[in-house]
Amino acid sequence: MKKFVGCVVMMLALTSFAFSQGYDIKTLTPDVKSALDARKARFSDLKMLKAKGVVGENNRGYVEALGGAADVKSLVSAENVDRKALYAAIVVQNELGDAALSTVEGVFAGVQRDKAVAGEKVQDLAGNWITK
Amino acid sequence: MGKFKIGALAIVGVALLTGCTVKAVGDPNRPITINAHITIDIKGLEKTASNIEDMVSSGQTK
Repeated sequence: MKKFVGCVVMMLALTSFAFSQGYDIKTLTPDVKSALDARKARFSDLKMLKAKGVVGENNRGYVEALGGAADVKSLVSAENVDRKALYAAIVVQNELGDAALSTVEGVFAGVQRDKAVAGEKVQDLAGNWITK
Repeated sequence: MGKFKIGALAIVGVALLTGCTVKAVGDPNRPITINAHITIDIKGLEKTASNIEDMVSSGQTK
């Protein structure tokens, strides 16, 4: 009986330890590294476009072209491909299940809204574009 | 009755020694459906997202 209780206590302790680990990109796979490096490389260009109001952060965790030429759309498209790769890596590496992707996207969208500086455009939860 | 008790204790003992594992053996030709519910720690995820975005904006390597 004591052994059984001990086993249950140990399982609970291990479970709480596992939950306290938080989420992270646990393994820097070539795809993840490539996505991170590419995002870092285009960050300043994207920041400039955001300041001009040509690009905004939508409420799904991705950037959106709100104007501009084809090169803007190309940059936005590349950024979103890399973001999706990172979101998917978080879901897979933390074993959150496929259904969690939209949750991860939503959380990143919230973080991007919070980090946006004055003058940048963000989409609120209702879908309205607002200028911070 | 004594033998039954010893047998039951032996089974429980073996289960405990094997790490309290419960194994279900089913028909390999029949898919098993498991309804799993995963609770996501949103605050933890927000922290992760914030860290990643900070890393991207600062250009640092993880």
